[in-house]
Amino acid sequence: MTLKQQLRTVLIFTKLSTRRFFRDRLAQFFSIIFPLIFLLVFGSFSSGNNNVSFKVALLSPAHTSFASSFEHQIEQSKTFKVDRSVTTLAQAKDKIGKSQIDGIIVLKDNFGAVRPGQKYPSGQISVLYNHTQSGTGQTLTQVLQSVVDGINQHFIAVPQPFTVTGQELNAKSLTAFDYTFSGLLGFSIIGLGIFGPVNVFPELKKQGVLRRLHTTPLKTWQYFLATMFSQSVTGILGIAVQFLVAIKVFHLKIYGDYPEIILFTILSIFMILGIGLAIGGWAKNERQAAPLSNIVVFPMLFLSGTFFPRFLMPHWLQSITTYLPLTPVIDGLRLLTTEGKHLWQIGPQLGLIAIWFVIVYAIAFRVFRWE
Amino acid sequence: MADEILKVKNLRKVYDGKPAVDGISFEVKKGEIFGILGPNGAGKTTTLEMIETLREIDGGSVTVDGLNVAKQPNEVKQIIGIQPQTPAFQDKQKLVEIIELFAAAYGEKVDPKVFLDDVDLGEKAEDFAENLSGGQRQRLSIATALVHSPKVFFLDEPTTGLDPQARRNLWDLIKQVRDRGVTVILTTHYMDEAELLCNRVAIMDNGKIIALDTPRKLIKQLLDRGFKKEQAVEQANLEDVFIDMTGKGLRDV
Repeated sequence: MTLKQQLRTVLIFTKLSTRRFFRDRLAQFFSIIFPLIFLLVFGSFSSGNNNVSFKVALLSPAHTSFASSFEHQIEQSKTFKVDRSVTTLAQAKDKIGKSQIDGIIVLKDNFGAVRPGQKYPSGQISVLYNHTQSGTGQTLTQVLQSVVDGINQHFIAVPQPFTVTGQELNAKSLTAFDYTFSGLLGFSIIGLGIFGPVNVFPELKKQGVLRRLHTTPLKTWQYFLATMFSQSVTGILGIAVQFLVAIKVFHLKIYGDYPEIILFTILSIFMILGIGLAIGGWAKNERQAAPLSNIVVFPMLFLSGTFFPRFLMPHWLQSITTYLPLTPVIDGLRLLTTEGKHLWQIGPQLGLIAIWFVIVYAIAFRVFRWE
Repeated sequence: MADEILKVKNLRKVYDGKPAVDGISFEVKKGEIFGILGPNGAGKTTTLEMIETLREIDGGSVTVDGLNVAKQPNEVKQIIGIQPQTPAFQDKQKLVEIIELFAAAYGEKVDPKVFLDDVDLGEKAEDFAENLSGGQRQRLSIATALVHSPKVFFLDEPTTGLDPQARRNLWDLIKQVRDRGVTVILTTHYMDEAELLCNRVAIMDNGKIIALDTPRKLIKQLLDRGFKKEQAVEQANLEDVFIDMTGKGLRDV
């Protein structure tokens, strides 16, 4: 057979197995719906507004009108989320011990009362916080201090030679969701690239489907290439749905170039799929495939930044996990989509993917078994 | 005797030190139906798989139409068609697509309908393979094995598990394939099948060929040794009764 004929064979295999995907509810579920569920769950954890807010208990033994309007202001404020179920100090301390609230705001006796001989109300607020959350507690104190400063300024105008104003700087700054999203894309590439072949190949071997194909002149590289192509088609489809949901539901902002993102995604799918082809192609049955795939996949899931960003890891761990196959995929996707980088700016990621590509396919070709 | 399409010489296969196929030799002529008979474990399937390039040959040589199986496996694959013992197809795939797939594997482009009509599955063309009956699956498998017009067609126990109607239908199909000039080599446990279909049979036991001739001559040799059946042979048997009462029509459509 000429090379042209052999490539035609690859395209027909690609076409037919892609068509099968659209009839296979289970495959659709795992490559589209399943990652989407993760996106929705993790997305709602990590998105939301990025404004700082405190969960507090508000205790006010004072009964002045000033105290009640102050309470009202605090409750309305976006900065504070007041836990109304707490009415006593004991309850509040219990909750703070369980880290269910960040601090307790106590308006001392006669808060807001106008003392004899004075023209304006006065009082003291105390902030109670746990030593394990002293950072939060101090910030909370500062916030309340500035609130009180504002009130003071209202009653006694004092000239303020020095002032501080804050200004938002970088529109492209990364949100927690940006990290979550690229991690979840990595997760879905793992799903279709590794769990796909690892589940399907042993089954095909058991049925004798692969063995039957082996009686034809079909070459391993043709079969691999057709699998790579069809998995990319379905993979791109699944990832496109995730992008759509991320943009519509979680207001993800894409700064990158779509053709570059698609190209990078395909390269990533090719490389990760090589791991699946190696494991699924080697394993004689599910019993061999399942444990091996777990050994390979789980470290990547936890160390490559799938569910939490790598910058949270200790430095030594980061320097090791840089070289895991999934890490350049996730980093590259984030750099391209939310950091607006171009393909030629992510050389290290592309290089790592290329190296892993060579390694995994060298293994996959060597260990592949048709039965 | 210029027309031997398959030549097997001293073929050997050893598993764990035990010979599964122990130096067998035979030749198959172009255009005949050749049967390999024998009890389970006799080495029939192993023999077939070595000829089909699927098992490594431990000793001896096999040539198919002049091609050395050990040295030119890909060329051999191109001229042989294979029907496995239990045909399996991926689910969610239409019959036409399965034919297209196998044709592509051989680098061929065919009209799937023609091949499906040949095996009486034209009406099922748009169905999925998992909805076929056992007999239909065997016929589909035969169609997939013939998409590249092979010279030699191997069938491993093709009628095991089929009902009498489906078996007869498959026999007719195999004869049609032979009539198109394809050499057929099959293994079977059913002696009636071998007697009816095969021009010549080889009987294997313990990895060796213990007899090789036409069914008629083998029977004659046995009778010549003074063999007599305990029961008087009647002109019909129970299967004849069954077919007479239920007809030859296929039941799986």
